[in-house]
Amino acid sequence: MASSKGGGMEKMSVEQLKAIKEQTDLEVNLLQDSLNNIRTATSRLESASTALHDLSLRPQGAKMLVPLTASLYVPGTLDDARKVLVDIGTGYFVEKTMDEGKDYCERKINLLKSNFDQLIEVATKKKTISDEAAVILQAKLKQLAPASSS
Amino acid sequence: MGSAAALRELQRELETKANDLSKLQKDIGKNHQVRKKYTIQLGENELVLKELGLLNEGANVYKLIGPVLVKQDLAEANANVRKRIEYISAELKRLDATLQDLEEKQNSKKEAIFKVQQRIQSLQAGKAKA
Repeated sequence: MASSKGGGMEKMSVEQLKAIKEQTDLEVNLLQDSLNNIRTATSRLESASTALHDLSLRPQGAKMLVPLTASLYVPGTLDDARKVLVDIGTGYFVEKTMDEGKDYCERKINLLKSNFDQLIEVATKKKTISDEAAVILQAKLKQLAPASSS
Repeated sequence: MGSAAALRELQRELETKANDLSKLQKDIGKNHQVRKKYTIQLGENELVLKELGLLNEGANVYKLIGPVLVKQDLAEANANVRKRIEYISAELKRLDATLQDLEEKQNSKKEAIFKVQQRIQSLQAGKAKA
């Protein structure tokens, strides 16, 4: 796909090349944003997973400080760490056991990872198209420059 | 003298057409934005539906209403999410149709603008010769 397009780009006018470059650059940026979003989502899920693991190690009745605000903590005791509530999106929460909760995080992380890999592939393809367009555009402009000065 | 008046007329026509085109393009942009929002919602709802499908019959499901969690039947939650997906899909289809319509209008507008530009050019060329 990229190579066939690259062959076609040789015959294109400067304006067309500029348009293609702009378009692909826009797409590359969009994809980069998506990749960043996936990255933050994955790190959040990973921290949730470690938090769950941490919680599962505490015995029932363990003392702890619960944050009410970022700077105000109240003492509390851990009642039951076997059941957790999981936010599955669009306002729905599901009660799960600790293992199911961890499994949920794992599954989501894997899903995000596979999406991430797919997106990376598309992004690199777009990037090569954009680079190719840039190279050909440069060459064309160089060709045009001496012609116009003479 | 007649050609100058005609030229002015054509230029005015070109201007109104360009305005129409930019309005159309704005509408298309808006359509894209709304569609993006709906596509994201659709994806999220589908994930939720999949998650609900994995649960056992007796699982406790809660719905966040304002700041409170309200317990809800699994079947009811399932039906709600399904209905929402249906609604969003229908909405997306509708947006697709309007987008196609807008794009067709945009293309014909572009063609019309091109024609007017050509006429202006030929008029100017004639004037330059004269």
